[in-house]
Order: sequence, then structure tokens, then C-alpha cells
Amino acid sequence: MSISTPQQRIRAVREEYSLRETLEGYGFSVPYLLVFAAFLVYPLAYGFWMSLHDWNALFPDRTEFVGLANYQTLLADPQFWNALGNTVYFVVLTVPFLVVLSLLLALGVNRSIKGRRVLRTLFFSPYVLTVSVVGLLWQDVFETNGLIAYFTGFVAEPVNWLIDPLLAMPAVAIATIWWTIAFNFIILLAARQNVGEQLYEAARLDGATSWRAMVDITIPQMRNPMMFVVITSFLSSFQVFGQPYIMTDGGPAGATETIVMYLYRTGFSAREFGYAAAVGYVLFLVMVAVSLVNYFVLQDDGGTSA
Amino acid sequence: MSTVRSTLNETIGIDETRLRKFGVYVAMYGAGILFFLPYWYMATQSILPRNLIFDRNPHLIPPAVTTTWYEQLFAAAPMVQWIINTIILAGGVTVVVLVIDSMIAFALTRLKWPGRRLVFVTILASFMIPAVVNLIPIYTIISSLGLLNTYIGVILPLSGGALGVFLLVQFFKDFPKELEEAAQLDGFSTVQIYAKLILPMMKPAMTALALFTFISTWNQFVLPLVLLQSESMYTLPIGLVTVRDAYATTSQPGLVMASALTASIPLLVLFLALQKHLIRAVELQGTVE
Repeated sequence: MSISTPQQRIRAVREEYSLRETLEGYGFSVPYLLVFAAFLVYPLAYGFWMSLHDWNALFPDRTEFVGLANYQTLLADPQFWNALGNTVYFVVLTVPFLVVLSLLLALGVNRSIKGRRVLRTLFFSPYVLTVSVVGLLWQDVFETNGLIAYFTGFVAEPVNWLIDPLLAMPAVAIATIWWTIAFNFIILLAARQNVGEQLYEAARLDGATSWRAMVDITIPQMRNPMMFVVITSFLSSFQVFGQPYIMTDGGPAGATETIVMYLYRTGFSAREFGYAAAVGYVLFLVMVAVSLVNYFVLQDDGGTSA
Repeated sequence: MSTVRSTLNETIGIDETRLRKFGVYVAMYGAGILFFLPYWYMATQSILPRNLIFDRNPHLIPPAVTTTWYEQLFAAAPMVQWIINTIILAGGVTVVVLVIDSMIAFALTRLKWPGRRLVFVTILASFMIPAVVNLIPIYTIISSLGLLNTYIGVILPLSGGALGVFLLVQFFKDFPKELEEAAQLDGFSTVQIYAKLILPMMKPAMTALALFTFISTWNQFVLPLVLLQSESMYTLPIGLVTVRDAYATTSQPGLVMASALTASIPLLVLFLALQKHLIRAVELQGTVE
């Protein structure tokens, strides 16, 4: 089998597959594959091609090949580093809460408390809101005479969080946590319900406290869903766009401009398409790196605790 | 040690598990209130009269109510048109995704053809591509196809995602082979097996995928923002921001909150009606690992 001439291989394929079924297989696959190729694979390659050009959207014939110049300009642009730094800051502000809070909410709703169905509905409901609703609502919530100031008013002079350089990003992060925790919450709730109760009974007979049961049973049993939640939270936080776009427009003084906003601004305001495509590619590489680091760190963690 | 503690608790009259239970209630209901307050705030702000809405402290229980913001909103902005537009777009993507994803999932799981493993692995690998990376090239491609400011130009780029294929493959592959063979003996063609056997049996999976696709398309922001350019074509999420921007100089929180609440109602109703299916749709994604 392993040593075969091309002719032998073709004969083997002919024997293994019927022509009719092969044609049907291609026929059923083609519609999806066309869309997949045209709007996922091709843009990925085309975007890289664009990033090597000084792209002129209005006069395509004035487009010039510039090699890696866009990437050089990018790496020398303090606004790019500001946007990257802001994005990392946003990730740090959101991901831990999106993971830990959703786990706590899931464990709480899993207990036999009164009204847990209402609570589940409530925690899940922001999932169906569009980012515009979330952005507009929370923009008002953070106003000087808004909901947050109403509660902080007892201890501090009310301020508009969104025009304060130190508070603007935390405000965007809080709105994001309220909005996106729903997805993680449902995933982790399902994961918790899949952990067999007999494990907890055995632990109880052994005299384990509920804290130990959580550390020794709940967390290890929910390992894969937890990993899924961590990675998807990282990826979506890295691509944050709508919330700061709507709530702050990147302000004050660029304090909340994220990497995707920078891409949007250079692409659609400045019309630097080649440059913006390069920003997209850098973001892509950063995200692949983050996914790999995540994967190995989480793997490693399992090794030490097991 | 624990017996000492429990006797101690018994003598003071506090049961440790009851105390813990009380703590859980406080934490969970506290969180519940925090999740509920923004909704309540949105609703009350949208019915507060102008003379109260700028008060230093928000009125969580409105002393007086008005419908003026809703009247102004519907007079100033084509909200109904935007809702219809969003339904067209979300419905269009949902139909396309259900058809093409179920077809290829059928081919990948029920038919034997050379290259199918490679195709599946390639589709899976595309999970690694973040959507925004393709934003600029997709704009350029759609523009050169002459499809800017059309729904088909937004529907196509939103229909190529790998998630639906992956989900359906998980279900289709568990379909019992005997049923398929029985149908073949009855003279079913491949197309009939797909349309009359597999699809009806896979209704739960298809429903979950349909719901998930509809909602995520309804809420799409950045792609419609760059691809749709005239007000009459806008989707709800884009339209809302233009309403806010049009009134930014005068700042009309009542009107903006009325627009936000109006925009959330269709999906919140859908959510309350189909919550079970939707939970299922989200849970399924947790199996993508």
C-alpha cells in the first residue's frame, strides 16, 4: 500500500470510490465551497496581496507595489502601538471576569435555589442584544447624571466615565462584560450539569469540603469547556470594535482606540486600504500567537495540577 | 474538628449550610439585580419627560411619564424600515447557511468521495481566521463585483462560516446507516435521502443552527456598516447609531433610549419564546473543540 506508483494509486482510488457517488459528493459540496473560497479563503490571500501595495481605491492603476513598506510604517507608528496597548489592556480588563464571573454565575444557578430559572433567563438575555443597543444604553449609564453616578455619588463626585482618560476603558469593559458573559455562562452551566453527581457524593463521603470538591472535581471535570471559554473570550476581546466605536469613538485622546478601530479608521476614513490590510494581517498573527500561548499555558497547567 | 464546629454552631443556633445557602442567595440575587438594572434604566429613561431627564440623579421610579420620545423617534427615523431590512438580511443569511451547510455536511458524512477529509480539515482550519482580518479585502471584492449597498453583497460574506458545517457534521455522522440503506432499498435517490430522510430527522440541529445564525446576523455591526451606504438600506444596529449621531448636538437621552428599547424588543420577544432552543444552540457551540 505505502509503496505504490501513481498508476496503482489511481487504480486504488477507482476501486474505492464509485464515480456516481464522487460526483454527488462534489455536487453537494460545491455551493458551500464556492462561498467559502470566494469570501473566506480568497480574501485572506487577497488581503496579504493588498498589504504589499500602496493601494489606490479610486484609481486602481495608480496602485503601487511597495513590498513590506506598510508593515514598516505600521511598526513605527505610535498610534498603532497605542491601539495595540489599549486592546491588550481591554483584554486584561475583560477576560478574567468573563471567565470567573460566568463560572460563578453558572455554579450558582446550578444550585437548587428558588427562582433559578428567572436568574438564568436574566443572565442569558443580553446575548440577543445588538452591540448598538449595548453601546447606547451604557453610554447613558455612565453619564454624569446616569445610573453609575447615582450609586457612586455617595462616595465620590459624579463624573462622566467615558470622557475620563482613566475610567473610559474600564467603562467599556464593564459594558462588554454585562453583554457577553451570557455565552460563557450558558456553556459553563451546561458543562457543570454534565458532571456526574456521584463524584460529589463520593467526595462528601470522604469528608471533602465544598471548596475541595470545587477544586478537585468541578474545575478538572469542566476543563475542556473552560478552555473553550478562555480562548473564545480572548479572541472576541481582541477584536473589540462596536462598543468603543459607539460609546467613545476611541476617545478621550485615543485612550480607548482599539486595534480594529485603528484598522477601520486607516481603511475607511483615511482610505489607506493597503495599510489597513497590513493592520489586519498583524492582528491575525497576534491572535494566532495568543491562541497558541493560551493552548500551551492551559495544557501546562493541567500537567502540574494532575 | 468538624464535630466541634458543628456543635458550636448548634449551640449558637446557626446552621452552617443554611448560612452558606443564605450567602448564595444574596450573591445570586445581587447579580440578578445588577443584570436587570440596565434594562430598567433603559425603559424608565425612555418615558421620562424632558424636564426630568436631565436631573442630577436619575429617576428610577418615574414621577411622570410621556410617550413623546417614541413619537419623535418614529417620526424622525425609519425604524420600521430598518427592522424589515434586518429581517431580510438575517433571514437571507439563515436560509443560505441552512441550505449550503446541510448539503456539504451531507456530502461529508454520508457520501464517499476522494478529498473529503482534506475539505473538512480545511474548513475546520478556517476557525483560526478572525472575521475582521478579511474586512478590507471583502470590501474591495464586494465593491469590484458592484455589490456595494446591496443585501446580496452582505449575505454572501456572512454565509461562509465554518461553525454551521461543523455542527451539522457532528449530527449527520451519527445518523443510523440502516435507515439510509432501507431507504435505498425502497428506491430513494441520493437527493431524496438528503431531502426526505436526513433533513426531517435533523430538525433539532437545523433549528438550533437557524436560531444562532439569525441572531448573530441580526446583530452584525461592522460588515453592514461598511457595505451598506444609504439610510434606506441600513440595518437596525447601524440605523440606531445614526439616530444617536443626528441628535448628538442636542443630546436627547430619552429619544436614544426609546430607539434602543424599540430595537431590543423583537429579539427579546424571540428570546423569551424560544429560550430553550437558543440555550441548546449555544451549548452546541461548546462542543466545538
